[in-house]
Amino acid sequence: MIVGSQKPIEEIWDMVKDSKKVLVFGCNTCIAVCHAGGDKEAETIAMMLRMRASQEGKNIEVKHFSVMRHCEPEYFVPVMEEVKKYDLVLSTACGVGVNFLSERIGDVPVYPGVNTSFYGGVPASGVFTELCGGCGDCVLHLTGGICPIVRCSKSLMNGPCGGTKDGKCEVSDEIDCAWYLIVERMKKLGTLDKLAEIQPPRNWSSSAHGGPRRIVVEHLQELEQKEDNKG
Amino acid sequence: MSSVQTADKDNYLKRIAETKNKRPYSPCRAACPVNTDAQAYVGLIAQGRYNEAFEVITAPNPIASVCSLICHHPCEQACRRCTVDEPLAIRHLKRFALEKALDYRHSRRKPVKKTKGKSIGIIGSGPSGLAAANDLANLGYDVTIYERHPMLGGMLSSTIPPYRLPRKTLQEDIEDVISKGVEVKTNCEIGKDITINDITAKHDAVIIAAGLSLSRSLNIPGVEGEGVVLAIPFLTDVSFGKKLDLGSKVLVIGGGNVAMDVARTAKRLGVKNVEMVCLESAEEMPAWKWEVDEAVEEGVSILHRQGPKAVRREGGKVKGLEVLKVISVFDANGRFNPVFDNSQISFIEADNIIITIGQMANLLFLKDSHIQVDERGRVVWDPETHMSSAKGVFVAGEVVTGPGSAIQAVASGHRAAVAAHLYLQGEKIEGALPVYDKEKILPFPTDVVSNIMPEHRAKIHHLPPETRCSSFSHFEFGYDEIEALKEAGRCRGCGSGAVVDTSKCMACLTCQRVCPYGAPKVTAWSEIDPARCQACGLCAPECPAQAISMLSYNTMDIRKTMPSIIGVLDTKREKPVIAAFLCTHHVGVLGFDMPDNIRKVPVHCTSRIDITDLLKAFECGADGVAVVRCPEGSCKYKGVGKRVAARVNRTKELISMLGIDAGRIELFRAGSGNGNSYASVCNEFAERIKEIALRK
Amino acid sequence: MKSGSNLEKVILSGQPAVTAELGPPMGADPHEVIKKAQLLRGFCDAANITDCQTAVVRMSSISAAVLALSEGLEPVTQMTCRDRNRIAMQADLLGAAALGLKNCLCLAGDHQKFSAAGKLKGHPGAKNVYDVDTVQLVGILKKMRDEGLQEGGDKLEAAPKFFIGASWTPMGDPIDFRPINLLKKVNAGADFIQTQGIYDIELFRSQMEKIHKMGLHERTAILGGIIVPKSAMMLKYMDSSVAGVSVPKKLIERMNKAKEAAGDDKKKAREFQEAEGIKLTVELIHQVLETPGVKGVHIQAIEWESAIEGIVKAAGLYPRPSV
Repeated sequence: MIVGSQKPIEEIWDMVKDSKKVLVFGCNTCIAVCHAGGDKEAETIAMMLRMRASQEGKNIEVKHFSVMRHCEPEYFVPVMEEVKKYDLVLSTACGVGVNFLSERIGDVPVYPGVNTSFYGGVPASGVFTELCGGCGDCVLHLTGGICPIVRCSKSLMNGPCGGTKDGKCEVSDEIDCAWYLIVERMKKLGTLDKLAEIQPPRNWSSSAHGGPRRIVVEHLQELEQKEDNKG
Repeated sequence: MSSVQTADKDNYLKRIAETKNKRPYSPCRAACPVNTDAQAYVGLIAQGRYNEAFEVITAPNPIASVCSLICHHPCEQACRRCTVDEPLAIRHLKRFALEKALDYRHSRRKPVKKTKGKSIGIIGSGPSGLAAANDLANLGYDVTIYERHPMLGGMLSSTIPPYRLPRKTLQEDIEDVISKGVEVKTNCEIGKDITINDITAKHDAVIIAAGLSLSRSLNIPGVEGEGVVLAIPFLTDVSFGKKLDLGSKVLVIGGGNVAMDVARTAKRLGVKNVEMVCLESAEEMPAWKWEVDEAVEEGVSILHRQGPKAVRREGGKVKGLEVLKVISVFDANGRFNPVFDNSQISFIEADNIIITIGQMANLLFLKDSHIQVDERGRVVWDPETHMSSAKGVFVAGEVVTGPGSAIQAVASGHRAAVAAHLYLQGEKIEGALPVYDKEKILPFPTDVVSNIMPEHRAKIHHLPPETRCSSFSHFEFGYDEIEALKEAGRCRGCGSGAVVDTSKCMACLTCQRVCPYGAPKVTAWSEIDPARCQACGLCAPECPAQAISMLSYNTMDIRKTMPSIIGVLDTKREKPVIAAFLCTHHVGVLGFDMPDNIRKVPVHCTSRIDITDLLKAFECGADGVAVVRCPEGSCKYKGVGKRVAARVNRTKELISMLGIDAGRIELFRAGSGNGNSYASVCNEFAERIKEIALRK
Repeated sequence: MKSGSNLEKVILSGQPAVTAELGPPMGADPHEVIKKAQLLRGFCDAANITDCQTAVVRMSSISAAVLALSEGLEPVTQMTCRDRNRIAMQADLLGAAALGLKNCLCLAGDHQKFSAAGKLKGHPGAKNVYDVDTVQLVGILKKMRDEGLQEGGDKLEAAPKFFIGASWTPMGDPIDFRPINLLKKVNAGADFIQTQGIYDIELFRSQMEKIHKMGLHERTAILGGIIVPKSAMMLKYMDSSVAGVSVPKKLIERMNKAKEAAGDDKKKAREFQEAEGIKLTVELIHQVLETPGVKGVHIQAIEWESAIEGIVKAAGLYPRPSV
């Protein structure tokens, strides 16, 4: 799941303060799950902005509504006409949603209400932890299911650095050392000896370092093209 | 709470009805023969919203006041609180609400426009006749009721003793119906004052709701003659004020509810010694247990398992009854089939004997009409259409259903009315009549029971037996407001809880994590198990997609109404305007007398308050926001405190971001009893806010 | 001979090797380096020139190394994985070789968050690189030297001939893995190893025993790390806060005693503790060198290069062999 958190209201205010009609556009999937940009938070932001505007004596109309997702057109196309009535859309979707909407909304600016952070899990209500870096070349089978790319502060591939202390990372004692976890896990799985194998330098081209990525499921895309041709 | 509110009837009923009707009913509602939404009105009473409660109560039931006194309340027997402690006193709460809403009730009586241009004659004005008349008048028909007695009500006015049903109360129900423009012909007996054929000729449709107006008698020696009377004539005489001399000892034959009425009436007529004799044992008696208990309290003695053999007379004067010992009342199949021991005869002395062993219809007036009566003396009818053998002539109530409760007769009246309406509109009747047999919510799972705090039922007070037997005055006292609010607060709101809009839900599990009762189960989306949901409202404000709505209230209401609650602020105001979110539970509603600057936002539990509700108050300009919970240890739901505190803290955080002092919102506890009252908490808070300064 | 560096020669000679450390300045003044080089020259076989240690921006390791070299001090260039990707690393190392640098120590590098400490603002918001890790960097250097190939496979016209080193934290968490860690570095091609500072000689020896069993001591030259303690406070800090370092209580007590002997005189307290620190260092050097499998010591006198002379002399490691 994509995890993010709300931007400070002042930062948002700076984005919207010169507009007359602002829509806080919520997204009810990942970003709602992490309580940052679903309908509830969109309403909260809208209310905060109205109060902020009134403090400044500005007359800004701020409304909110939400759709299930901003990252697939079918979800927002039905409300697009309504959305376009605003001079500014503050999307509380993740960065994906903001991009996606920006390219499909014409002249209306779409600004982010949320800082998109990572792909995470939800170990407990209200807690979100980064567990995958989306590197495009998964090595979890080599590391006991614990990701060294994103959970090690240095993305080390061949074992821990010298900074591990009491199982914690040198960056913060609130961060578990991924390699400590990997070693403990692989000991338990009886596969520790596998770690003696040297992992060569990675090919990062499958990650964001290889440029913006695109995945095409060929058989589906072809199908769609055929349908288009028919139409 | 003294102010009379208006009832937002259409809104409330319409909003919930559609969804509620599609879902399993609360057990109380399912048990009611007309599916009165007891949960809904009890919930409204708990919030002090009596007029709205009145609307819910009377929507399916035109004899609500009658039922509020005499109903056998199957709703209470079905109440899920039975597994926790005792059922809600639903009937008694109904009485309370109706009494509270009396002015409102009177104000809304008005004629209904007769738009249909068709007339309907209704024979009989008992529960089924009144119900049909009411429904058809509402639909715009021209309705005429024919009643042989001088007062409408059928058995309600002619046989139910006034100590159980004061006629003034009955009159309230009757007035509601006839004020719609129903024409009333009292003292009009069909077959005597007018013929059935006259009526069928005069109206486009006719409903026969004549009830069971004859008492059954016994075929035993000595039964004929003075000193032996039948129940209905006896009760009718008493009802209409005829003076009777019953001597010093009366024997009542029978063990049903009417027998109890007869016995207790005899007591009130001054008979010293009233004895009852019935075939059944105490456990087998058909009378409701509370009726038996009340009769016994009043000094009526009951002889069980004795069957009448002969009335013994001396010189024509009744001396008593010879009885046989009963071996068994029911056969192996549970059918009524008494077996006597002819060798065991005993004798019970009596000056008068009243036979109360059942009723039957009097259908003599149908002679010489097209309306067929079968060989056993019953009207021939089709239960699918409620139509008799004659086209356009419908039947309703006990005349066809046999003996039952008043509210069952109302159900039948509704069906007959719809049938007549469909008939007159040329529509198909089969399958289109209302059905009251609905799926109900399952019992509380045991883990839920253990999560519900026991709270004893508010006692219903009666006149002491010695006093009550000296007159026909109503013997039961209504709840006062404190009692009623407390009692209504015991309701767990079955079936009025959370509903998930699956088009918004993204299965985030928040509700499942929040709910203390394990009601939400999230798979592809959240589904909330109504058997577990307590309608506390804790989940809805936590739902990040706002996908959860509540049946018992509108989750958007507070935000929507906040601008009007706060109003336009006077820039020169001296007192801070405080939005006070007040828990209305535990009769808290009575502690809400506040100065004008404290703007009340009553919530049924603070669990229902959303962060956006609190923010909205600030947006509307409130100088301060107080969230006032009920006293320590009295919240009737689990897990509320920490969540509400978290929401208040989050609101502090949010307003701080806007440069608004975090101290402008606080969480308090208060109660209506001694100690911190809601008003004092709010006033003290207002003083603090004044020190912070008023907002600009 | 892989590189022909002095350090390599000393190690090959079988005599205990001594390396020291030189921290480049936070500025462009070459004299800072020259001054420190003069202090170390003659008292060690080579000196590590740190690569922006604790992620603080300093004169680059390669340029400071060239300055040291010109002063007659053999440098060990350090290369962290934090700041450069494999392109920059290889390019810089080609240049380093061209400038006559012969030793290179590969390190992961401290996280950039360490740069903001004490009075320093540092660059905690910097983006780190970690394109490759230490093991992989060692492998790249070896491939360049021995196969004449870049990591990507392209041919090098002239291969850089480095004596390749790597750091090792023998007593860090997870301790079971540390020998495997070393194994990987050795397998990747580490010619020499400098360890994290050792105070707990017992624990170090137990880890070395495992290394011995694995035969790694014969495949690489392990130089035990010695961090010269200046004060009791420093020892306590290292014990509690530096990963992979544990300081036995008795050592801290010794330093405390030295401090207490000075009474309220702060200057004396410093002097006493420094003297005790040097004494302690000499003892540690002996204990480390007596540990089977150890080929030398790496003495770090952080911002106290002047102490090296006395230490090396007191340890009986002076004069340094000329090979």
